[in-house]
Amino acid sequence: MTTTLELPSTREEAWRWADIDALRRAAESERAVPVAGADRFLDLPGARLLFVDGVLDESASILGTVQLTQIDASDHPLGRQALGRGWSLRLDRDAVAEPVQIVHVASGAANHLPAEIVLAEDAAAQVYETYVGRGWTNRLTRVKLAASARLMRAVRLLQDDGFVSLREEAELGEGASLTATFLAAGTMGARIDGGITQIGDGAYAEFGGALLTKGELKQECAVALRHAALNGQSHQLWRAVAADRSQASLAARVEVARDAQKTDGEQSLRGLLLQRTATVNLKPELEIFADDVKCAHGATVGELDAKALFYMQSRGIPKPRAQALLTRAFVADAIDRIGNEVVREAFAADADAWLEAAL
Amino acid sequence: MTMLKIENLHAEIDGKPILKGLTLEVNAGEVHAIMGPNGAGKSTLGYVLGGRPGYEVTEGSVTFDGVDLLELEPNERAAAGLFLGFQYPVEIPGVSNVQFLRESLNAQRGQRDEKPLSGGEFLKLARAQADGLGLNQDMLKRPVNVGFSGGEKKRNEMVQMGILNPKFAILDETDSGLDIDALRIVGDGINRIMRAPDKAVLLITHYQRLLDYVQPDRVHVLADGRIVRSGGPELALELEREGYAGVEEAAA
Repeated sequence: MTTTLELPSTREEAWRWADIDALRRAAESERAVPVAGADRFLDLPGARLLFVDGVLDESASILGTVQLTQIDASDHPLGRQALGRGWSLRLDRDAVAEPVQIVHVASGAANHLPAEIVLAEDAAAQVYETYVGRGWTNRLTRVKLAASARLMRAVRLLQDDGFVSLREEAELGEGASLTATFLAAGTMGARIDGGITQIGDGAYAEFGGALLTKGELKQECAVALRHAALNGQSHQLWRAVAADRSQASLAARVEVARDAQKTDGEQSLRGLLLQRTATVNLKPELEIFADDVKCAHGATVGELDAKALFYMQSRGIPKPRAQALLTRAFVADAIDRIGNEVVREAFAADADAWLEAAL
Repeated sequence: MTMLKIENLHAEIDGKPILKGLTLEVNAGEVHAIMGPNGAGKSTLGYVLGGRPGYEVTEGSVTFDGVDLLELEPNERAAAGLFLGFQYPVEIPGVSNVQFLRESLNAQRGQRDEKPLSGGEFLKLARAQADGLGLNQDMLKRPVNVGFSGGEKKRNEMVQMGILNPKFAILDETDSGLDIDALRIVGDGINRIMRAPDKAVLLITHYQRLLDYVQPDRVHVLADGRIVRSGGPELALELEREGYAGVEEAAA
């Protein structure tokens, strides 16, 4: 990139926990030989797209219904840098697509790619993404769901190094359903940034996941979920596990507009410290202008339950194994939300591998 | 043959002495009951034998099957054949009973150089034990103790004991929270699983009622951190009749 990188300042409230330094370092890193990516595809039918540094590797991809096209820009500070051509999944009314898998390999420096998922009335899609490699990977994904459309989405961040920033923008029509689960189980910095709006009545949104941090890493999610219509339902369930001197931050906001009566919003933010030198920041926010709504929220940070650890040991389970089982159970709350079994098991295995290495 | 030998055991929590010179021997094939007033140190004895962190032994020794028990980690004590039945069994959200018990059993078997049980073999064993204690099969699939009633938790402890098949069980107020029917089922379970010439049980209890089902060979009164009286089953009846007032005076 020839222009100076324009990045948000951590003095702004919405970016206070962002690791902009790590992002900058990743962006300025040298390109190296890309790691393999094709072996990351799961055993599912349907389209497979392999992007290396944001460029489609056609020989390793099966596009199916996915096209490459110009994507509308965003005004988000990072999302707007992912400009131009990207991948697009558009489904007509009543269409049901086979799963779409996308593997993003980064080899260093910066790479950007926008995307859109546009589902017409009653269409249904599944999109699963995997990030590997190093460097700064920046993505904008725009989702538009018409009435009763359904999107199941799961994203795992497994880069060995560098930084992954995701900006997710979604608009849900009447009775539309979005379930999105994110797992950060690599050794990179990360920011998962979401703006979801329910514009139709009776929409359903699940937006959550798990951040696993160790070493000196910093990862965060920053999500705003807006209810702008009647009878909406939403669940934001995030889990953070922080080891060593790392930092995981969860900032999640529910906004209920004046007319969004009968909204049922749930928010659960929980952090687990594996060592006392680690940090978990939680920032639950509720902004409610309607008067007939239900918004449950919970935010806790703690350590593994000493009583449960001793109970398990007293039955014969060695302490490290007991710690792994309890931590896995903690993370499973988020991962179990993934509806596709093959994907859920793959994500659980990634989390297990991370725990295995961290404990 | 002496299975458990406790000599002059002193233990404290946060610097506060609880056990103050406890001596006790349990032979293979025997059931011993420990009774005593609140705060005497009954549960502390169970936790010290189980190896719970925070319970510090300051003096004395505990030998189990000729091995220094206090040198072992809690999981090593379990693998050596010790089972601690908890007064308040712990809830573990997100870990199913089946997974927990299979991990436990296979971890113990691994530490004893025995082959792990397969999923099928284990399920067969678990179902048989659950049936034996009238625990609904569905509860095996549920997270450990989560949403279980007090009585169900206690029965689950006994199912665990049946599956793990220990040599020596320390049962801490296993009778509390049980109604009459459940008391009989649990009592029968203890007899079925633990009544054997090569096994032994230490029953920690407040009341005589469990002892109607599980006949003790010896009864000990624990007061102020020491065994102050020992006798046969008739001692439990006497305590039930006359209370602990007399023995507390004896300890003072």
